[in-house]
Amino acid sequence: MKPKDLVLSACDLARSRGASYADCRFQEMEDESLTVSGMTPEGISRTASRGVGVRVLVEGAWGYTATPETDKDSLKREVEKALEIAKASAKLKKEVVHLAPLGKVAGTHTTAIEKDPFTVPLSEKASFLSHLNELIQMVKGVTKATAIAEFHRTRTWFASTEGSEIEQTIYQSGAGIEATAMKSRREIGTRSFPQGGGQFETRGYELLGLLAMERECQRIGEEAVALLSAKDCFPDITILILDGPAVSLIIHESIGHPLELDRVFGAEKNFSGTSFATTDKLGKLKYGSDLVTVTADATSPSGLGTFGYDDEGVPAQRVELIKNGLLVGYLTNREMATKIGRQSTGAMRAQGWQNLPLIRMTNINLLPGISSLEKLIAETDHGILMLGNSSWSIDDRRESFKMGCEIGYEIHGGKLGAMVKNPIYSGNTVEFWGALDGIAGEREWKVWGTPSCGKGQPGQNMRTGQGAAPCRFRKVKVGGS
Amino acid sequence: MDEKKALEILHQALSLSKADQTEAILEETTRALTRFAENTIHQNLEQHDHTLTVRTVLGKRIGIAQTNALDEASLTRVVEQVGGIARESPEDKDFVSLAHPSSVNPPSLHSYNERTANFSPDDRARVVGIAVKEAKASGFTTFGAFDQTITLLAVANSLGMSRSFRDTAASFSLTVSADDTTSGWGQAVGRDAAKLGVETCAKLAAEKARRSKEKVEIPEGLYTVILEEGALGHLLLLLGFLGFGAKTFLSGRSFMAGKIGQKIAGENVTLVDDAYHPLQIGRPFDYEGVSKQKVVLIEKGVAKGMIYDTYYANKAKVASTGHALQPGNTFGPYPKNLVMMPGDKTREEIIASTDRGILITHFWYVNYLNPMETEVTGTTRDGTFLIEKGKITQAVRDMRIEQSILEMLNHFEMVGKDLSLYQQYGAYLLVPLVKVGNFKLTKGD
Repeated sequence: MKPKDLVLSACDLARSRGASYADCRFQEMEDESLTVSGMTPEGISRTASRGVGVRVLVEGAWGYTATPETDKDSLKREVEKALEIAKASAKLKKEVVHLAPLGKVAGTHTTAIEKDPFTVPLSEKASFLSHLNELIQMVKGVTKATAIAEFHRTRTWFASTEGSEIEQTIYQSGAGIEATAMKSRREIGTRSFPQGGGQFETRGYELLGLLAMERECQRIGEEAVALLSAKDCFPDITILILDGPAVSLIIHESIGHPLELDRVFGAEKNFSGTSFATTDKLGKLKYGSDLVTVTADATSPSGLGTFGYDDEGVPAQRVELIKNGLLVGYLTNREMATKIGRQSTGAMRAQGWQNLPLIRMTNINLLPGISSLEKLIAETDHGILMLGNSSWSIDDRRESFKMGCEIGYEIHGGKLGAMVKNPIYSGNTVEFWGALDGIAGEREWKVWGTPSCGKGQPGQNMRTGQGAAPCRFRKVKVGGS
Repeated sequence: MDEKKALEILHQALSLSKADQTEAILEETTRALTRFAENTIHQNLEQHDHTLTVRTVLGKRIGIAQTNALDEASLTRVVEQVGGIARESPEDKDFVSLAHPSSVNPPSLHSYNERTANFSPDDRARVVGIAVKEAKASGFTTFGAFDQTITLLAVANSLGMSRSFRDTAASFSLTVSADDTTSGWGQAVGRDAAKLGVETCAKLAAEKARRSKEKVEIPEGLYTVILEEGALGHLLLLLGFLGFGAKTFLSGRSFMAGKIGQKIAGENVTLVDDAYHPLQIGRPFDYEGVSKQKVVLIEKGVAKGMIYDTYYANKAKVASTGHALQPGNTFGPYPKNLVMMPGDKTREEIIASTDRGILITHFWYVNYLNPMETEVTGTTRDGTFLIEKGKITQAVRDMRIEQSILEMLNHFEMVGKDLSLYQQYGAYLLVPLVKVGNFKLTKGD
């Protein structure tokens, strides 16, 4: 059966067997992953996976099944199983599930790429990564250099009992380098580029050229070595300037996650936690300073959380979450949107065909300001600049956090001073964003990709983006580990 | 799929390969999970998949490919593809060989439970209903998950390895709460889905929620803490990532590096990885087909051993301990069945012996601050209580921990005699309740 016929057939079958709503996704996923440490390949692999997921609503409750078997009999069995599961769910429900209206959606979407990464020989990719490591290891004192690259292609055929028919192909690519220096078993310095774990975008192989990693190998090597003799970060309450990757991560943890509306309503309470940003605060909570405007934008060019349609067929969109510091919206799906009387913001995403879609981040973008990193530093009499991410932890209501960065520099009289190692900053979400007083402009703004955001049971990894530029915050608690 | 069929597929794949050495792994998983929130089942699913992973070796070049299509044409395609990957990959000069089969039989493991394998969506809803009813009787709301897994792992290679194993596992966890600031948590893990003790789990979580209605703040500082199994299990899980595997050990990045034979923890700390412990949920062999060994990692506080897969065992010129993860992973070998040896104290004795301390149920978002020092941070969650003069007196507002795990192992004041199984991220940890001195708690921010 062709994928399109398969998903339509599953929906027809579910409807005929009593489902008030059903949708079906057939997906073909291909992944390629390369990790090269020095000249040694640590893991070079290709994965192909295809299968179908069926979601049904029966008696006002959900059931979901997924299988790699896509013949007619298996599909029928899966639909029956999904119906059985939904009926079991209905035995323990307080209210019937309602879906925000959507109507019939038909369309196609394919990521615009310049070069299909799957057409580039593996040997070429591996040689390139080895070359980057060679450049890093030319720096005296570097003990380990690691380069990674990953490529993903997901083809999806989606149909629903409401008549939606969607086909989309998403390409995601990523790459990064890391330098490590070790003085003793207690002293280690690590620097990465473009960020720890690499930069991921919805692009093709051209991303590797755009990242221009060759230019940064020597710098990150030298910084990793210099960290071994850097001083500790002195505890203080001071002005903190963060680079793009660090801002991206704190957006992810303290804005993206708490504004997932399923979390707000307790769907993750036993696992990933809840949110302080409850719906009674919508339109009232001053989440940050007036400079803080944040959108969830699944249409951001090349953002890792960019797509054409989410996994319940809602078209990609750009919605405001925080406007001039005020909480104005949430990441929602069709079910949760009805609880606040709104339409879905198109944030229902699944890791793959095996997984039940959940509310996930798309690209959570802190809109750029008018400053620059240079200017933010020049305006600061006493403070600290922290770059990259090394550690992150936030409480289960997404309020208090402690974040570690790869490297820091003291700022004195508007100029960068001594390097500090293992710098940490901590704070409370609302106070922290309220203390933001400067954002660099568009030139330094970028959608940083997070390739493995965990949520849900069974655990799902989602690829999300966070648009960020360097930012400055007043009165932040800083220190060293 | 039965084990015979799985091995047939593997041998068919091996027969198609012309590489110097070839390994094939078939893993079939059926996972059913019922999640509930606000006393309502809100997510309910069953997912099934089977993956064939092929690793080929051409000299010192290695290729890895995986597919979940198992028809003949797909087998041919994946074997051709993996040969191509190997040809295009750089040489790994440290690679010696895939695993050789062993004539030594490991202890038997009976891990397949029919009841768990046949647990239906209705069964799961019924069990969840029991917990909801129990908590509702105390005026609370429940949030949680019932998880049931059936797996088949088969491994074969061109050196004669050919093994298969089926197992089941079930777990239940729930958070009981009255409002956004009141909560109690519990987890039950076992092979038999029908005997997890869900009712008891719900009662204990409800009791914690009841006790946590009014919370006091405590100052930052070093405390005597009593870590329940979920709390200790979480920290040991992170310790496993940090340094019980040969990859970090051989690179010098493990806290165990250079310490074998030296005292690194208190005398009351003995930690092993033991898939065969009767209360553990483990497999008799790893993803290379190598039999799992019981490995003593720390004995009476002294660093003793390390776990290996074939690659790192060859590098270190020792035998693999049977701890390989899936090919292509970059973690290296990992201990999935940690067991901490019990002491001789009951829970009641440990609490009664504590003049002033903090009881911690479990943690959230624990992450490394300084891996070399095993220093981590995270927050307490769902049941943190003050103990005064041997009694739990009141709930405490959740605190942030900033603690070296290794240092913690040097401050065990008492170790409980009962072991409980804790499960997270695919690992099972069998741990006692422990009382620990000098444990650093700070304010949230």
